[in-house]
Amino acid sequence: MNVLSTKKPLLYLSKSIVRLILLLWTIIVIYPVLWTFLTSLKDNQQVMLGKPWDLPTLFRFGNYADVWSRAHFGDYFFNSIMVTVGSIAVSMILAATTAYILARYTFRGRGILYFIYVASMMIPTTLGLIPLFFLLSDLHLSNSLFGLMLVYSVGTIGILPFAIFFLVGFYKTLPRELEEAATIDGSSNYGIFFRIMLPLSKPGLVTVGIMNALTVWNEYIMATVLINDPEKYTVPVGIAIMQAEMQYRTEWGPLFAGLAISMIPVILMYVLYQRQITGGLTAGALKG
Amino acid sequence: MISIKKKMSMTSVWSRRLFILSFLLPTLALFALFTIYPLIRGLYLSFFDWSGGSETMNFIGVNNYKELFSDSIIPTAIKNDYFLIFWKVILIMLLATFFAVALTRLRLKEYGFYRIIFFFPNIISVVVIGVLWSFIYNPSLGFLNAFLSLFTKNPIEINWLGSPNLAIWSLLPPSVWAGIGFYMLLIIASILGIPNSLYEAASIDGANEWKQFTGVTLPLIWEQFKTSIIHIVITTLNGSFIIVKLMTDGGPDNQTQVLGYYLYQMGFKQYHLSYGATIGVLILVLSLITTLLINRILHRDTIEM
Repeated sequence: MNVLSTKKPLLYLSKSIVRLILLLWTIIVIYPVLWTFLTSLKDNQQVMLGKPWDLPTLFRFGNYADVWSRAHFGDYFFNSIMVTVGSIAVSMILAATTAYILARYTFRGRGILYFIYVASMMIPTTLGLIPLFFLLSDLHLSNSLFGLMLVYSVGTIGILPFAIFFLVGFYKTLPRELEEAATIDGSSNYGIFFRIMLPLSKPGLVTVGIMNALTVWNEYIMATVLINDPEKYTVPVGIAIMQAEMQYRTEWGPLFAGLAISMIPVILMYVLYQRQITGGLTAGALKG
Repeated sequence: MISIKKKMSMTSVWSRRLFILSFLLPTLALFALFTIYPLIRGLYLSFFDWSGGSETMNFIGVNNYKELFSDSIIPTAIKNDYFLIFWKVILIMLLATFFAVALTRLRLKEYGFYRIIFFFPNIISVVVIGVLWSFIYNPSLGFLNAFLSLFTKNPIEINWLGSPNLAIWSLLPPSVWAGIGFYMLLIIASILGIPNSLYEAASIDGANEWKQFTGVTLPLIWEQFKTSIIHIVITTLNGSFIIVKLMTDGGPDNQTQVLGYYLYQMGFKQYHLSYGATIGVLILVLSLITTLLINRILHRDTIEM
């Protein structure tokens, strides 16, 4: 008892110090993000004053309209949405079918197949960059959003192997009784998968779909190499191009409005699906 | 189950096979074409001299690799990659572990709040992070110098990204800032997997928080630790490229050049494509060697719970 009572003030003190550090890191994390939104509402003159702490004086929402239409972020946004939705749809159906078989059927080569998918996640994306560029031009898909979408779905950025890896784990947790009952009822293999297993795996599909959507939405390397036509830029490419142009003309407000436009969907997804995103990540990584 | 198996006729065996193949093959075919083939093609390309276009591809054996060894930028790029890996591993693992232990062991009621906030930078695009931080570092407009100026008489005007000595150091904070949350979540998850009884036993034996950390927590999260460090190595060799491209463009004078960005410049700016592919092979070899070494160095007998 005596030991405990003498230790308590010390514990209280160290707890306070820890709290202080956590609070400090919270500020370090949040302030740059907040600052992005504040700067996106400033006009150029105010940014150039060099007083980054100040709040915007006029709240120029015009920066958003400006970057959306004149700097074509509206188009980029639309392109990014198309590519993201398309690649998630394609990769999910390809991953779910394979994952279901790997989780539920035994056959020769199953272990090797699973190993190939999982091991491919360890291979650096950059190694495939140059060959992919030429593969797409051989397929007459260079400079096309459809080609980019395909690369995201099944290419080296790794969303397909991650989805397979995650969903194999997920299908293994589903009870077998339902399938057995359906087999006795005379359902076909396809019927069992599409009518029973696929709907049952919705939570797993949502988790992995959101995480991969974030990866695709944020992807830059492939998009900048495979797309040259300004009309087909995605949001990250548009931002990088705009930043490069800042050497010639300074438009800080609109640039930051562009950053904000890129972050808003991510923040929305995070607010809505925080549990799936953080939970799914750790569940996936811990099994590995 | 047995009765179902007995009912299986030859046709049902075939329909089962057909079903398996129809589910596996489309995925495997596309994956082979877009993931495996480019990797093999990359290896293949590294033995040729080729600058794209339609002119002939000349087989030059290991000449690209010889060029790699005589290229004075390659050692700088490797040094910078490992500089970033070293400091990212140290800083990220220290902070992530500290946060993870603080959030789980001290049983703070704000646990959920911090978890959500600290992970947030991980889901922002690296492009956004690069642009945002280059503005933070901006000598006259950014808030880093403005913040430092609060403590000095004269306004500070350090050119963080433009000076040869500071530039590579300046690339670290954004990478650490953006990386911590993910590893913190991983460590939290493995700490939560440790049975509470172990901690109770340790505290009955009189172990304080620090002793409990080194005696119970650390050995039991060691595997996760190792995995995380390897993950940092691979993602850095692969991804530091974007931060470099956006923040320093490899400069000043190639002082912040990294392998990934050098590959990009060789391949897509100077159209020395086969040499770019060779750099890609170098990246693969380095990540394999480093992974093996880390596995060896950090190997401890796993503790079963």
